[in-house]
Amino acid sequence: MTDDDLADALDTFITEARELLQDFEEGLLGLEDEPSAQDSVNALFRTMHTLKGSAGLFGLHHLVAFTHVVETVLDSVREGELAVSAELVSALLPCGDHVSSMVEGVAAGRLDATTSETVDGDRLLAALQPFLTLSSPLAPVLAEPEVDTLRTWRLTLRFGPDSLRNGMDPLSFLRYLATMGVLERVTTLTDALPDAEQMDPETCYLGFVIDFVSGAAKADIEDVFDFVREDSQISIVPADGQADDYVKVIEGLPDQDRLGDLLVRSGAVTDLEIARALQIQQERNRTGDSLPPLGEILIETQTVPKPVVDAALGKQRKTADSRSQETQTIRVYANRLDKLIDLVGELVIAQSSVGIHRPDEEGYDEAQGEVMRLVEEVRHSALSLRMVPIGTTLRRFERVVRDVCVDLDKDVDLVITGGEAEMDKALVERIGDPLLHLVRNALDHGVEPRADRERQGKPIRGKLRLNAFHDAGSIVIEVADDGRGLNRDRILGKAVERGMVQPGTVMSDHEVYDLIFEPGFSTVETVSNLSGRGVGMDVVRRNIAELRGTIEVLTTAGAGTTFRIRLPLTLAIIDGFLVGVGPSAFIVPLDRVTECVELPPNAAERDCMYLRGEVLPFIRLRTIFDIAGTPPRRQNVVVIEQSGQRAGLVVDTLLGQFQTVIKPLGVLFSEARCISGSTILGNGEVALILDVGPLVAENVSREQVLV
Amino acid sequence: MSKTILIVDDSASVRQVVSIALRGAGYEVVTAADGQDALKQLDGKRIHLIISDVNMPNMDGITLVGEVKKLPSYKFTPIIMLTTESQEDKKRQAQAAGAKAWVTKPFQPAQMLAAVSKLIMP
Repeated sequence: MTDDDLADALDTFITEARELLQDFEEGLLGLEDEPSAQDSVNALFRTMHTLKGSAGLFGLHHLVAFTHVVETVLDSVREGELAVSAELVSALLPCGDHVSSMVEGVAAGRLDATTSETVDGDRLLAALQPFLTLSSPLAPVLAEPEVDTLRTWRLTLRFGPDSLRNGMDPLSFLRYLATMGVLERVTTLTDALPDAEQMDPETCYLGFVIDFVSGAAKADIEDVFDFVREDSQISIVPADGQADDYVKVIEGLPDQDRLGDLLVRSGAVTDLEIARALQIQQERNRTGDSLPPLGEILIETQTVPKPVVDAALGKQRKTADSRSQETQTIRVYANRLDKLIDLVGELVIAQSSVGIHRPDEEGYDEAQGEVMRLVEEVRHSALSLRMVPIGTTLRRFERVVRDVCVDLDKDVDLVITGGEAEMDKALVERIGDPLLHLVRNALDHGVEPRADRERQGKPIRGKLRLNAFHDAGSIVIEVADDGRGLNRDRILGKAVERGMVQPGTVMSDHEVYDLIFEPGFSTVETVSNLSGRGVGMDVVRRNIAELRGTIEVLTTAGAGTTFRIRLPLTLAIIDGFLVGVGPSAFIVPLDRVTECVELPPNAAERDCMYLRGEVLPFIRLRTIFDIAGTPPRRQNVVVIEQSGQRAGLVVDTLLGQFQTVIKPLGVLFSEARCISGSTILGNGEVALILDVGPLVAENVSREQVLV
Repeated sequence: MSKTILIVDDSASVRQVVSIALRGAGYEVVTAADGQDALKQLDGKRIHLIISDVNMPNMDGITLVGEVKKLPSYKFTPIIMLTTESQEDKKRQAQAAGAKAWVTKPFQPAQMLAAVSKLIMP
């Protein structure tokens, strides 16, 4: 390609780009008028698609990178994942202008972006960010491991029977291969050739075994057969006697848990080969055999020689030994399982006993009651199977504490108590992150540096205590340090400075300490390596609230801080209180309900009432959920308590206690606050479970100000 | 006699650059702006390989592949589709239609040349 040719082609590109950008702008404006026109969306997508493709040919990377994002956005519009909106159009219009100015830059001879163009581009892309359903920046360019030494490979190729019909000539691949190295020996495999009369001239029966000497990486050799890979059997293995090299490479690699990763990093296997082996593994697993080891499949499919796999396995084992691995299975006490099976047996008998009685017969109610009792017991028993001791999770922190102490140059002993307390496995898994944050915080901000401790006459070694215990149907986990404690004045000062509290407000200690859980609160001026990233305690509290738990802080200046997390024992079932409003039913978690009273007639027009001399603000569910119909003459108030704050929920009817199996709401409702889930009632109807925390926080504070 | 390649793309600059690269490597090149144009070009000529974009006005690349496979004299002609990394489903459709080779956009002329030379020599 001569320079003249290229300049000529570039001219064509610029003319074309100008036209496309004109189309782009017109298309966008047209889209605003008629957002549902599929044709114009397609045309719009094509403008950016074509621009990107052409720009890539000329190596105009700045144009490619920018148009790629715009194209991605338009693609999701085209696929119906993103709706056309005025905001989208106004975000896209300046993008067109920006591409225009870059194209004009190219016309003026600038083949790279100027600094101001880069800045503009980044700003525009940031504005597009909300529209990117899947954030897909440019596919990263894979850096191939550099192999410059010549290696001998043994290629076994069996081309698919349809290869010729697909326009894939086996010989053309061999010719191409020859451009990358030397074909030392080619053996043609003719064993698949049928007898002459059965032979179909359009079908490919050939295979080859090739000894190939090349300096190319394995992935590059594999790429040669990209187009036939799906229908053909291609295996590329180091020729005999070369395996030792890989064994050495593997032994020199850093620790790695996964066999596949080890093999890929050594260059003996490509990502693709691993993917294929994993697929085979999945299939065999489905056909009922036990899960075959990956290494065996790789050897069996002749992807890698056995010594290489053995070396990788050895390495993997070493890695596993050096790290205590978390168990993937649940250990269940045999007697619990026995009990469950016993109960199910009894249930079957009770069920048949119901079957032999007619409903009006004597003994029917009794049999029915027995079934109910057994169902309840089965539920208890089944839930207990999921209970695991929390100790495993807590013991993981020994390592964390050690590492953090090294980083911070502090001496801290970790004391774990109550590790045998049991909780739901799902909860155990999800409490890890909040706990990690608390532990790091305690070590970073709580425990003082050695010198400070010495000055205060404390032992130089700090102490961090993790304690778990059961308390009234919940599990409590405490993270306690013996550090400096929370500084009331500093917290209050910061809150005033941030405008979270009015200056001069009188607050109890408890209220002040609770401020640290507010979003955006952080008293540490300098952000340290470990904590203080601004995603502080509010996230911890939110995570815990998602598990339907609470967190509180107890502190004594100079003597330490204790964070106390209280969690329900299980996530699956709660005791609920069922209430009715018009035709709808709602569940209030029973542990939040303190009492129920009748709505006094004189409170009808107000948003609060007197309850034993105290003002009780209340929320009308009928109003906030916009339920039609007139309220009945007598309404009830369910008094609930949330973080020390009381409020009432005005409902039509009280339907009583209800064992609630929680069903999560779909993604559609993920933004719905005040509702934490749903459940299905005995009559098949759906009832929403109220999330009391946000409900009270969002609706009552306003009322209280008015009071 | 050197082999002839048909380039089908609605972008004139793509056609131009790919043509230059392939001619430089010793291939003959003819071009078409969309699927219908391409079918006309195939008629009466001897084409050894087709490179086609997926997104084109009038007749898109996948329809084109289907039509080409119906022509007896082009039954064994290899077809390279130009896809983008975001169009995995398009790629599948094109493969099902009979286009087993592909080059991902945006590409450099050298990448195109490599893909072509895997399938035919000049």
